[in-house]
Amino acid sequence: MGEKAVEVVELRKDYGKRAALRGISFNVRKGEVFGVIGPNGAGKSTTLKILATLLKPTSGEARVFGMDVVDNASRVRRVISYLPEEAGAYKNLKGIEYLRFMAKLYAGDDEKAEDMVKRGIEISGLGERLNDKVATYSKGMTRKLLLARALMVMPKLAILDEPASGLDVVNAYEIRKIIKDFSRKGVTFIVSSHNMLEVEFLCDRVVLMNAGSIVDSGTPHDLMAKYEADNLEEVFMRATCAGTDADTMQMRLSGCEHEEL
Amino acid sequence: MRSFRVLATKELMNLLRDRKLVFGLVVIPLVLFPLLGQFTSMGLSSAQGVTKVAVVNMDSGSYGGLLVKTLNASPNVSLTLISAGSVEKAIEKARDMGQNVLVVIPPDFSKRLSSSETASVQVYGIFTRVGAGMKESVSEGRINSVIQLLNREIAMIKLKELGINNPKALVEPVNATSYSVVKGRIVKVPPSAVAAALSSQAFSVPLIIFIMITLTAQMAAGSMAAEKENKTLETLLTLPVSRTTIVASKVFGTAVMGLIAALAYMIGMKYYMGALSMKTNVSLSSIGLGISPAGMVLLAIVIFLAVVFSLSLAMLIAVFAEDVQTASTLVSAVVLPLAFPSFILMYTSIYSLPACIRWLLLAIPFTHPIVDYRKLLMGNYSFVILSVLYLTLIALVTLYVTARVFSTERVLTAQINWGRKRWDD
Ligand SMILES: Nc1ncnc2c1ncn2[C@@H]1O[C@H](COP(=O)(O)OP(=O)(O)OP(=O)(O)O)[C@@H](O)[C@H]1O
Ligand SMILES: [Mg+2]
Repeated sequence: MGEKAVEVVELRKDYGKRAALRGISFNVRKGEVFGVIGPNGAGKSTTLKILATLLKPTSGEARVFGMDVVDNASRVRRVISYLPEEAGAYKNLKGIEYLRFMAKLYAGDDEKAEDMVKRGIEISGLGERLNDKVATYSKGMTRKLLLARALMVMPKLAILDEPASGLDVVNAYEIRKIIKDFSRKGVTFIVSSHNMLEVEFLCDRVVLMNAGSIVDSGTPHDLMAKYEADNLEEVFMRATCAGTDADTMQMRLSGCEHEEL
Repeated sequence: MRSFRVLATKELMNLLRDRKLVFGLVVIPLVLFPLLGQFTSMGLSSAQGVTKVAVVNMDSGSYGGLLVKTLNASPNVSLTLISAGSVEKAIEKARDMGQNVLVVIPPDFSKRLSSSETASVQVYGIFTRVGAGMKESVSEGRINSVIQLLNREIAMIKLKELGINNPKALVEPVNATSYSVVKGRIVKVPPSAVAAALSSQAFSVPLIIFIMITLTAQMAAGSMAAEKENKTLETLLTLPVSRTTIVASKVFGTAVMGLIAALAYMIGMKYYMGALSMKTNVSLSSIGLGISPAGMVLLAIVIFLAVVFSLSLAMLIAVFAEDVQTASTLVSAVVLPLAFPSFILMYTSIYSLPACIRWLLLAIPFTHPIVDYRKLLMGNYSFVILSVLYLTLIALVTLYVTARVFSTERVLTAQINWGRKRWDD
């Protein structure tokens, strides 16, 4: 504990003229489950994509276990595993073939790869259906397959963009348990989410983002105390609408820009 | 190397399991081409079969009988003598009997010939069904040659009657023997046969190269765009594999699939041509136009380089497309115009074109396999070596640009969407 798994310093990202991140800074400690929460368009996915070496920051720095995500991208890729917000698997492959294909890319030899696949089969919980083509899977089944492939390789850092999106209550619960489980085994997590219940249960610490900036950060417990809220949902509303109770109500009535939350 | 193998295997497996693709690339050429050839040749062979000829001999003299005898002795003709008072009656009878041709020998046939005048016969082709009419035209050709034969025979008989000793030398005073000069060497093959052998090559080589280039380009673009459409690209790009390996494995997987397709097309084509009996009995190598083993290697390199260029160009284009449909449209828009000149080269030589157009065509990598093939037939290696250098340069530049663009985030953010409307935004 204590060692930094992720360091983000004054990170900016512009898509053309539109600023998606306006200079954010935060750290993720080794071994913790770190949550990034915020309304639609806050910049959560952009942050995670930069950490996953998919996008280059416009300015500022991001490091994963001390390695710069731009200068050392290929070394960073060896220690991370990224689950995109919207993702699919190769439709013409069977589930099991997909896991095997991925395992072979991470493992040095076939024996290690088979161990990973075994773990993947367990995580996915898809059983016999793994012998069917991915094209025949439901959205939730595909999501579980992808999560299984992300975690079976035992990455040092797992970057999960809304891991439980599209899953039903039972499956979402299972996935939270799996994440907790792997966290205990030493995997560091950075997770984005809309689901405040999920965040409260799952995350050791969170940052609250809004419109490309960090509004606040801390443990769910501390944040609830600070905003005198009963749950994270209220914290979220109060923090993102930036004001007291009365202000919040006022802004909500006048259509605080994120009313759907 | 391990990750390249794993990725290339996945790429191939994904392509081979695509039913639509396998159908278009392997099943169609292997099944459809030979079938097509079979049907066409069935038409041709029935045309080459026996022609049913009906003859009405209204002539009472000896020459009419002589004509019937000569016709009867000529090959592939089954002769039926019918008797009828008028031409109309004869036609009606011949049609009822299912004859293909009716020959009418008029009453004054022998009389005119005896008095040294030109006699005439009428030949009617009888069409009973609507078809290509090959049968009838071929039969008419046969009748004509029979008549020619008859002309000679009658002329010789008459010359003899006039007391000429060697009538053949008068009827056929000139006898031509034709040879061809190929690469400065005299070969005992008529020019028409050499021309036929060359033109069948001139047609099939550009066609196969055109098909190969457009097909592989579409496949490469499709496999790249499918990664976007099926949302597998982001995951792929975060795997512990270099971007160059990803591009290389895609180029390799598609090239292998292209090879399978090319083989299928070549085999299909061969059966098609074979069935059409377009074989001219003259092989190019027998007249000294074969390609040496070294030439074969050069040609393989030229084709490989052209395919690498087409694959990397297609992937470069696909980087900007959001889905498979858009990628396919974009690639067609760029590759088809580039590959089109190969069709011009089917009908003309590059040297019969004005200089500016010639150089323009030579700037296009896809023209090189075709031009080089002809150069190799003529044994001109220096041109082909220059062409290899040019293609290497252009293939490397394109590959480099593609790998560079693929290493930027443009591959994720650049999005052109033509095919479909989006529901959101
Ligand atoms: N490819 C892109 N091109 C242009 N703008 C983009 C692109 N991707 C994201 N943006 C913009 O960047 C901002 C942040 O987007 P981002 O996807 O990071 O939000 P998010 O917090 O993940 O939202 P959500 O909860 O909806 O997933 C938004 O304003 C979005 O419009
Ligand atoms: Mg997002």
